[in-house]
Formats: sequence, C-alpha cells, structure tokens
Amino acid sequence: MPFRSVFDQIFTIWTAIAGGVFVLVTAVLLFAVVRNRATKREHLPFAASENHKVEFGYVVVLGLIVAGLVTGSFLAISRLHSGEGLAEEAMAGPSTRIDVTAFRWCWEFAYAEAPVTVTGTCTSDDSPVVVVPTDRPVEFALTSSDVVHSFWIPDWAAKMDAYPDDVNELRMVFPEEGMWRGLCSEFCGTHHVTMDFYVRAVSPAEYEQYLAAASVAA
Amino acid sequence: MTRTAGIPTPVEPGRGGEPGLLAGWLTSTDHKRIGLLTLGTSLVMMLIAGGLAMVMRAQLAQPELEVLTNDRYNQFFTMHGSMMIYLVMTPFAIGAGLYLVPLQIGAPNVAAPRTTMTGYWLYLVGGLIILSGFFTTSGAADHGWYSYPPLASSRYTPGAGVSLWIIGVGLVALGLLLMAATVLWTALLKRAEGMTMLRMPVFSWSIVATNLMVIGAFPTLLVAVGILAFGRVNPDIFTDNVWNIGYQHLFWFFGHPVVYVMFFPFVGAVAEVLATFARRRFFGYKFFVGSQLLFAALSMSVWGHHMFTTNESSDYYYSLMSIALIIPAGIEYFDMLATVVGGRLRFTAPMLFALAFIPQFLIGGLTGIMTATPAIDYQITDSYFIVAHWHYTLAAGSLFGLFAAVYFWWPKASGRMLREGLGKVHFWLWVIGTNVTFLPMFWLGMEGMPRRIPSYLPEDGFGTGNLIATIGAGLLALGGLVFITNVVISFLRPRWAPPDPWGGHTCEWATSCPPPRHNFDARHPVPPVRSYAPLLDLREEKERQAKAGAG
Repeated sequence: MPFRSVFDQIFTIWTAIAGGVFVLVTAVLLFAVVRNRATKREHLPFAASENHKVEFGYVVVLGLIVAGLVTGSFLAISRLHSGEGLAEEAMAGPSTRIDVTAFRWCWEFAYAEAPVTVTGTCTSDDSPVVVVPTDRPVEFALTSSDVVHSFWIPDWAAKMDAYPDDVNELRMVFPEEGMWRGLCSEFCGTHHVTMDFYVRAVSPAEYEQYLAAASVAA
Repeated sequence: MTRTAGIPTPVEPGRGGEPGLLAGWLTSTDHKRIGLLTLGTSLVMMLIAGGLAMVMRAQLAQPELEVLTNDRYNQFFTMHGSMMIYLVMTPFAIGAGLYLVPLQIGAPNVAAPRTTMTGYWLYLVGGLIILSGFFTTSGAADHGWYSYPPLASSRYTPGAGVSLWIIGVGLVALGLLLMAATVLWTALLKRAEGMTMLRMPVFSWSIVATNLMVIGAFPTLLVAVGILAFGRVNPDIFTDNVWNIGYQHLFWFFGHPVVYVMFFPFVGAVAEVLATFARRRFFGYKFFVGSQLLFAALSMSVWGHHMFTTNESSDYYYSLMSIALIIPAGIEYFDMLATVVGGRLRFTAPMLFALAFIPQFLIGGLTGIMTATPAIDYQITDSYFIVAHWHYTLAAGSLFGLFAAVYFWWPKASGRMLREGLGKVHFWLWVIGTNVTFLPMFWLGMEGMPRRIPSYLPEDGFGTGNLIATIGAGLLALGGLVFITNVVISFLRPRWAPPDPWGGHTCEWATSCPPPRHNFDARHPVPPVRSYAPLLDLREEKERQAKAGAG
C-alpha cells in the first residue's frame, strides 16, 4: 500500500478545494457584514424568504460535488490496495513477512524467513529497530497480546490497528533506504507515549546479510 | 345541598407548606426549571472540564514538563473528553430543547414532566458518579472517552474509576434518552393552535431532528456500556476479538449521531440569532428543515469512518455515506449565508458568536471531508490533526453556537440582560483564543504528534506549536472568566429585560421575561401563528397598517 504518495496527492487536492470553499464562504460573509450594517441600510437587500428553483439547482451542484469527491476518494482507495508503478509489480510479488506483536508497552518483530526476533522495552534507549529490505513488499502482520494498539509510521502515512486474537496485514514497499520512527497511536495505558520503534530500510543484499548474521547470533 | 346536611363540612387538607428553594427546584414539574437545572449543571461541568484542559495545556506547553504523572494526565484527558461529550454539550443540547421547545411552540409545559425530571436526576447522579472517580485511590477513569475494550476491562484497567465511569455513563445516557423522548413528544403532539409542523421555528425543528437521533442511537450506547460492565466482571470475554470489534461498532453507531446531537441545536440557535439580528425572515426554511432530517438519517450510516484503520469497516461504503453529508450541510450553509446577505445586520454579542460560528465550523466541516477519505484518514486518525478537526466542530463551532444561544436567551430565562460590552470582550477573546489554540494542532498532527500523549521530547519538534496552543488556551480561560463576571453582574446589578429585547421572531418573545408558570397567560397570550416567524408577521402587519393609515 503506497500510503505516502497517495496521501500526499489527495491531501493536496482536498486542501486546495477546502481552501477555496473556505475563502468563498468567508468572503461572502465578510462582504455581507460590511455592506449590510443596519446603520447603513434602510431596506433589506432582498426580502424573499425562499427560492425553490435556486435551492434545487444548488442541491444538484452539491450532488455533483459529492460525486466528484467520492470518485476521488474511491480512486485513492483502489490505488492504496493495488499499488502503483514500481510498487504495483512489487505488491504482487513475494513479500517479506514480519509478525508484529504489540504489547504493553513495546513491540516484538518476528521474521518469517529466519529465526530472528527483535524486541525491546521501549524505555529511553531500548526501542526496537526493525530492518526491512527496500523495493520489495514488506508485510507487517499485526497482532496484540493484550489491548488494542495501532502501528503508525508517520513519515510513510501508514497506520493499522493491532488487536488481540486477530491479525491485520499491512503491506507496503519502502522505495528508499533510511530510518524512520514508528509509534503506537491507539491509547493503551500508562506508557503509551513511549511505545516507539524504528524502521530501517536497507538494500536487499544488506538485508540478507543482516538476517544471516542475526540468525547466527540467535 | 340539603342532602349534605348532617355531614361535617369538608376541610381543605393542609397544603404542607410551600417547598423550599432547593426542593422546589429539584421536584419541579415546570419544564423551564428542569431545563435550567440541566443547562446550569452542564455549564458547571464545562467549567470543570475546561479546568482539566487548562492543566493539560500547561503540561504540553513545552517538551518534557511534568505537571502531572502519566496516569494522572490520562485521567485528565479521559475526563475532559467524557465530560464535554456526556456531561456538557449533549445535555446542554437536549436541555436547551427542553427549555425552549414548549415556549417556541406555544405549549404550557413539557409532556410527562416527571419523567423529564427523572431524566435530569439520572444525568446529575450519573455525572457525579463519573466525577467521583477522582476521590478513589486509583483515581478517575483513565482509558479514554470511547472506552475501548480490552483496555476498559478490569484486567488492564483495574480500579474503581472505570467502573464508576461505566455506571455513570449508563445513567446519563438513560436520563438524556428520557428527556429527549418527552421533548420530542411535546414537539409532535403539544403544539398550540395554528402551530403546524411546518410553522415550528428552526430551532425547534433542530431539536426534533436531534431527539430522533438520540432515540435511534442512545440505546446502542446502553448496550455497549452493558458489554463493558460485563467485562469488568469477566474480562476473559475480550480474549475473543469479536467483542472488541463489536463494541467499537456499537459504540460508534452511537458515537457519530451524538456528534450531531452536539451540533444541530447549536446550528438551530445560530439560525434563529442570524435571522433575528438580520431583521429578516430566515431564508430557505423548508430546505433547512429537510436538510436536518436528511442529516439525521445519514448520521446513522457513517459510523464506520471512525474505524478505517481497524480493517473491519468498508472503506468504500463509509467514505460514500460520509462525503454525502456535504448535501445537507451545504444546504444549511447556503440558507445561513443567504439570511445574512439579505439582512440588515445588528452586531450584538449573540450575533457576533453566531457569525463566527459560520467560518469556524466550516474549518471543522471541511477537514471532516478529509476524515471521510480513507486514504487521508489512515494518516491523520488518532493524531493531533483529528484533535484539531473535532475541536473546530465542537469548540470553534458548537460552543460558539452555545454562547450565541446563551447571550440570546439569557434575558428570556433570567429576566435580566447581560452586559453587551463584556459579551463582546468575551467574544473577541474566544475568537482569537480558539484559533490560536486549535489551528496549530493541524500542523502538529501532520508532523506526527499522536493524540493522548502526556509529554514529548525536545527533538520531536512539537514545542512551538504546543506553546502557541497553550497561549490560546489561556485566552479561552480569560474569556470564560469574563463570561462568569457578566453572569454575576447580571444578578448583582440587574438590568431588567423587557419581554422582547431583540425584536425576536418566535413565540417565546411574546411572553414575559422570565415567562409565567405556564409560559403564556391572559396578559401574554400565544400570538396568532401563521408562519415560522409569528412575531415578525405581527410587526409587518402593523407596518402595513401604519403605511395604509398614512397613505
């Protein structure tokens, strides 16, 4: 799911539309506030208290706006699910599966491909770092061992809840190398605030080396 | 007469004396008193909930401050949210209907006043039970206002706070349900002669739509808290995830309509205030009424947009239904704007609050379209962006509508005028304070600040935005104090209100301030009702006659 690129695009369009509507409504309001002061006007600008033709016409316009926005929203959803460009091919391909177990108050990442498990206590310097390969789909299989948590990587606009007795799959591709912070975004109690983890994306070759080394260490 | 001879003259039984002040109010069968109790209680609750928010803003002003421990902070945000929703905005919305609907439709009282009073008691007692958590050793509830299991179970949040919260919320929901039902009954069946359904004032219609949603949605909340109550006894049920997800569906089936319960009466009040101070008939009455009913109907089918990240609610369906809300909301905005554009405006304190409601609520509405778009919602949900979004709807929107209503109807309810000057000071402090507080939260959310965190690190980069927000909150507190001062002055140095200080349009302005026991009497009869603005009709009639006489 190419969350970030889809998010950036549709968020920009939606913000532009919202900005336009806000400016329009506020301009009409301010215009009326300046022009229609009772001290300035002797008579009402217009006395009609209804106009069904205008209002029906306006409802049609609203309907068209809704149709446009719903279409945009649906297209974005389908792009989220099917991927796009490089990611589209990658989404279909085999993935790196990582079983993520959220618990109060940290995370455990278990690789399906190798006997490697990463965890920590999420206290000051002990946040788990999950290493993932770039350009290849990574599937985070999210579950929880106690309450509801939510797996969020803000920089990639990716978020999915983790439940006990349930697995939610979050499939995504990291197109570049780097390290990003992830956190829990569903309130889960006292140390919810410190439930941080890091995602480190490395080249597939480096990733294989990492897994091999970590398996030996384990 | 002769037949009674020999039988002792019947003696009038002792009246047992007049009830005292407190008993008089707490056992009243007058909708005005029950209404004012509800409104007054909710305003006191708002003061407490606002105080909690101020402490949280102090803690968040800078990184790594520790005014409160994590657990205490969690109690504060839980209680702030729970109080504002269950104990402030919702009861105020329903209570305003209880006070005003009989007056607006020319009824002498609410239907079933004792049931209505029972509703108030349940609300009051439930509210006190929720608050009493602060006096237990483990503190008040600290699991968030929507109380997701398994966190809400006795396994993960032991202690009395959550149990008290569950009992309290159940009682409040039941009480408000009763109150909404009797007010709806009143509006449907107790209207004065001539007051057809399509002559009911806009505000009364907003209450009809509101109470329909209450009746449709609140029973589900009772079921949901029932599940939570069972989970306090047997937390094992939540190891089966169907109960966790099932709870969320039930909760939000209540949770989304209740958002509109906290919105409709205030938009209705804003509509009345706009029309009155634009000195014209409200534009587009029929469309406005229809849009409220459509809004209420749609509100029952959009709950899943609170649950996109659960992967258990359809992205497509809930996006479609939620975006469709643009139609009724767009109609309401059109009618409000047309009323202002076609009016001669007077800028009184209630009018200022009503005018500011329009652009401020709009920010909440437009960002609402973003939450209705799953591709955006995945990122912004549970972040400060969402916190900003619904504070724009509820604080910058509904709360401004609430204060428009308070300034507008205060003379009617108390017989006293509030000071205009202080009202305007309150208004400007709040316009600036609201935007300074909540606008930065959009950016904080975009930068990745999750909601419900008691603290953050210097390297997170949330410091500046939070500092600005805290300064804004200070202005809001100041504005609140100005309002309290205004209220106190109106009691200590009263300026008595005439029956119709504003040139109102609807029946409540035909009676005295405050109205007599049964709302209308021989000196203040229900005016003839020929439209949704009967007093405006009378004034226009008089003007026509004066013109005819002069001509």
